[in-house]
Amino acid sequence: MDSLLTLLPMLVKMAIVVGVLLLLPLPLTWMERKIAAHIQQRPGPMRVGWHGLLQPLADALKLLTKEDHIPADADRRLFAMAPVVALVPPFLVFTAIPFGTPVQLFGQEVTLMISDMNVGLLFILAVSGIGVFGTILAGWSSNSKYAVLGSLRSIAQMISYEIPMGFSVIGVVMLAQSMNLSQIVAAQEGLWNIVLQPIGFFVFFVAGLAEAQRIPFDLPEAEGDLGAGYHTEYSGIRFSLFMLAEYLVVVMLAALNVLLFFGGWNGAPPFVPEPVWFLLKVGFFVWVFMWFRFTFPRYRYDQLMTIGWKVLLPLSLLNILVSGLWML
Amino acid sequence: MARTSVKKSGWIGRIFFADLLAGLRLTLRYMFSHPVTHRYPDHEKWVPYPRHRGHHFIKTNEEGDVNCVACELCSQICPCDCITVIPFENEKGDRRPQVFDINLARCLYCGLCEDACPADAIKLGQEYEVACDDRPKLVVHLEDLVAAPRKAEDGGQLRPARLQPDGSGRSVEAAGAKSQGQDWWRHIRKGK
Repeated sequence: MDSLLTLLPMLVKMAIVVGVLLLLPLPLTWMERKIAAHIQQRPGPMRVGWHGLLQPLADALKLLTKEDHIPADADRRLFAMAPVVALVPPFLVFTAIPFGTPVQLFGQEVTLMISDMNVGLLFILAVSGIGVFGTILAGWSSNSKYAVLGSLRSIAQMISYEIPMGFSVIGVVMLAQSMNLSQIVAAQEGLWNIVLQPIGFFVFFVAGLAEAQRIPFDLPEAEGDLGAGYHTEYSGIRFSLFMLAEYLVVVMLAALNVLLFFGGWNGAPPFVPEPVWFLLKVGFFVWVFMWFRFTFPRYRYDQLMTIGWKVLLPLSLLNILVSGLWML
Repeated sequence: MARTSVKKSGWIGRIFFADLLAGLRLTLRYMFSHPVTHRYPDHEKWVPYPRHRGHHFIKTNEEGDVNCVACELCSQICPCDCITVIPFENEKGDRRPQVFDINLARCLYCGLCEDACPADAIKLGQEYEVACDDRPKLVVHLEDLVAAPRKAEDGGQLRPARLQPDGSGRSVEAAGAKSQGQDWWRHIRKGK
């Protein structure tokens, strides 16, 4: 009975997080299409529901009823596995993301995160690194030129950009003296890290765009030269799993940007609960990602590598050096 | 625009990504401007400017008689030979067209017939929904031309409309609803 009482809040929290994450791409696709449309002076989806609000539901129905096609020469087992492998890491990451300070509920203290890990940041970086396996498997098992080229590009890109991304957060860890995300947020109580770590934020933001494979770094699925990249051969429900994973990575990176550099739930205006304030900030960053997407063209492959290795990596090392000197 | 601002700001501008910021500023301004898309045909319909060259019409005088004197100048000048005029003498002794056919499928809406007409009879009007599923229907006769819509004196605006329920795919203006006003597009990008 006692163990059940400690287990129950955990299960409830997990159910809420998983449920919200599964449904999140619906409003996000609507938002993305609306933002794209308004940047291009179009109204966007207007027919299904009020201002096209039910459009994502119609799209989801369409995707679910599509034929689940597996190419004849594909490695069937890996082909079926890849979307799930791609989907698991973004979900896992959210176990370590805090949404606010602990609250009192029914006389019990409830933390607003699934697991309060001391190495939360390391866990997130490590788990999101696994995400590349989904891409590798998808590209390889499709047995298609476009898919293999796309997945090769995406592997090179994700591995190159994980390094500056990891280095850029070291400055934050040095300032907070901790890898625990709630302690990192607590350390930004007075001054957000964006003031102290502008270079770190810049490197993290750009590397994050590349990790999420968003424009201007969306080479793995460059429509013009690769069909759709590693998920060229996917259709129906399996394709929608890749889409889901992509949107969750975007949300995860927005959440990390807020937690590491924009003070998490700190600085909430009066009468706004901390989690709501945090989610508003995350929403703002998701919007910024979409704004970038419809503003910039795609970088060439060699430019991508140049930015990663010759600009971002030295910048992140410089950031560590300057932070260290400043802390002395 | 982005290029010039980068040139002006030099290397400092390049370090702080002046070019990228110019692009972001542009798209942000567009994001909060009005969309230009017409929700045609079931919500809005574009009323063309008076100078628009659409479906032809033939003017009539006060007595209800057509202005046309069947001089056949329009059919002579027509570059695609789509106007057929056969004259006859009516009971008042006036020369009038017995047959006045225009093949809309051949017409290129150049407006030369309108320019050539000495009697202020044939004009090109506001109607532009002439699509149909049967080619003979595109040959319009004198009575169709007399009944066709005139030039839109208040043209150049977007009016609320609805789809005609007969399945013809035409859009008709919704009764009682207000238009967005003339030159609505001028307000899309404020200040510029």
